[in-house]
Amino acid sequence: MIRIEPGPWKAMLAHAAEIYPNECCGAMLGVTDGDDKTVREALRLDNAFAGAQAARYELRPEDLLAADSAARAHDLDVIGIYHSHPDCDAYFSKTDLENSCPWYSFVVLSVQKGEFHHANSWLPNFDRTEAAREELQY
Amino acid sequence: MPKILIPTPLRQYTAKENAVTVSGGTVGEALDALAGRFPDLRKQIFTDEGKLRSFVNVYLNDEDIRYLGKAATPAAESDTISLVPSIAGGAALTAPPLSKEAAPALSNEEILRYSRHLIIPEVGMEGQQKLKAAKVLLVGAGGLGAPLGLYLAAAGVGRIGLVDFDVVDFTNLQRQVIHSTKDVGRKKLDSAAEKMLAINPHISIDRHEVALTSENALEILKDYDIVVDGTDNFPTRYLVNDACVLLGKPNVYGSIFRFEGQATVFAYQGGPCYRCLYPEPPPPGLVPSCAEGGVLGVLPGTIGLIQATETVKLILGIGEPLVGRLLLYDALGMRFRELKLRKNPECPVCGAHPTVSRLIDYHQFCGVPRHEAAPAQEAKVNDGEIDVMELKQKLDRGDQFVLIDVREPHEHRIASIPGARLIPLGEFSKHVGEFDKDGDIVIHCKSGGRSARACGILRQAGFAHVRNVVGGILAWSDKVDPSVPKY
Repeated sequence: MIRIEPGPWKAMLAHAAEIYPNECCGAMLGVTDGDDKTVREALRLDNAFAGAQAARYELRPEDLLAADSAARAHDLDVIGIYHSHPDCDAYFSKTDLENSCPWYSFVVLSVQKGEFHHANSWLPNFDRTEAAREELQY
Repeated sequence: MPKILIPTPLRQYTAKENAVTVSGGTVGEALDALAGRFPDLRKQIFTDEGKLRSFVNVYLNDEDIRYLGKAATPAAESDTISLVPSIAGGAALTAPPLSKEAAPALSNEEILRYSRHLIIPEVGMEGQQKLKAAKVLLVGAGGLGAPLGLYLAAAGVGRIGLVDFDVVDFTNLQRQVIHSTKDVGRKKLDSAAEKMLAINPHISIDRHEVALTSENALEILKDYDIVVDGTDNFPTRYLVNDACVLLGKPNVYGSIFRFEGQATVFAYQGGPCYRCLYPEPPPPGLVPSCAEGGVLGVLPGTIGLIQATETVKLILGIGEPLVGRLLLYDALGMRFRELKLRKNPECPVCGAHPTVSRLIDYHQFCGVPRHEAAPAQEAKVNDGEIDVMELKQKLDRGDQFVLIDVREPHEHRIASIPGARLIPLGEFSKHVGEFDKDGDIVIHCKSGGRSARACGILRQAGFAHVRNVVGGILAWSDKVDPSVPKY
């Protein structure tokens, strides 16, 4: 289960609405207790995808590294990655799956016509062939 | 002894340590030492062959070791090694189903017919049913529409709409392979539908015998899942684009000229539209149509089939659609190139704050008259124009006047009017000084478009008696001298 606190949740929705019609992306910082994760902070990251960003995103590893240092400085950990799907459902697409990493929770925000619609959290498997839906609370 | 920072999810394998100090003089040795100490961690970062997993990047301090010495990068006591995953993604690729229709059943006849589709795992019964449920509109049953219509019918696209109001003529047959010689004079719609149904009687065809306009476009397009643009003029191209954006339908675009073609998919799932690529139309006359500039007959086959391929992929929801990429084809060099297309956030139609929210007058937008291709015999003669019959009388009387042909030399070699002086339009301005401003001047081209521009140039320069031959040499062939070939 992953729970996103109101502060970071609002920040993620605002980020997604602002970047619409493109995809936004960022890191979720928080704490983990077994399978229970709590997101305390959302950190905006640059969408570094070189082409059209309406249906693609890419994180720079160095940005993720900086996010990891920022998390450590606050006694938090990077526990997940979020990104938006503009005018599209919050499913875990083939692109999402093939470019994911089994270490994190992946929260997908569906933004329809500029406004938040629904969200899902996904846990990719080790071979990145499937993703299980993770219970999401916000 | 360098320190390795352990990402949160991997700490379950390192007894919850968030940083581990290991021995080793290089990054590779340090990672080996880490994996040796925590065997369960090994498979998280290395493959069975001992290679780093494709999503793992290794950083030494703040540098990616791929740009240093890779695994052999020296790692000193004070260095920090980080494991950073590569992460990307996006809504692209697996599209939600385009058609909301329930999957139609396939008869045994259809199963046999589509056998070579059904045995591809990516298509299968489910994919073939998607094709049968799909509704695709082809705008234009000409050069691009010909291969599109034939192949989409054969592939089993269940409902295909055709928009065309033209009749087949002899100049179409060099490339529009859906029409045959016996069809000359028939409606393109009837000729095309007949061939498509002959290939596949299991599909249905809607015949829209109209010119697509701002008034009827939304009504016609709204019933289809995908619109395929096979038009040859800018007003209709902008019209199709804007209507697709407003209705949220993908626009499978293709265009051809002489030896070159382009294709892409516009307005698909938030991707760029035609106006993101070309916000404004080119000045009228700058880009010639196929009728004016010519086209290699085999070219629309290639481009039309790229459009057909993209259409089938969109219906099946497989592969990587040609979205955000403009594919350029050069038949002479036999090369494909790809340009990245970006969505323009300022786009007046699909941008964040659109200013176009309904269809506009596209002929006005493109600066071209509405009925540019009116047949010569029906054209009326305005001031500044001359009919071919009157031109013939002038020539027969031996009037004192100058007749100028502003076509290209290779056109002049196909057909010409005796006594005309050839000055291609591109060089026309240079020759203005050679003529008498008060003299009687008559200008012609193939059908009247280029000669109208040449007349404009002379009138601007102060010439008083300049006239354009209505209908050009095509009208001359029709009404004066049938021995002059039409082209």
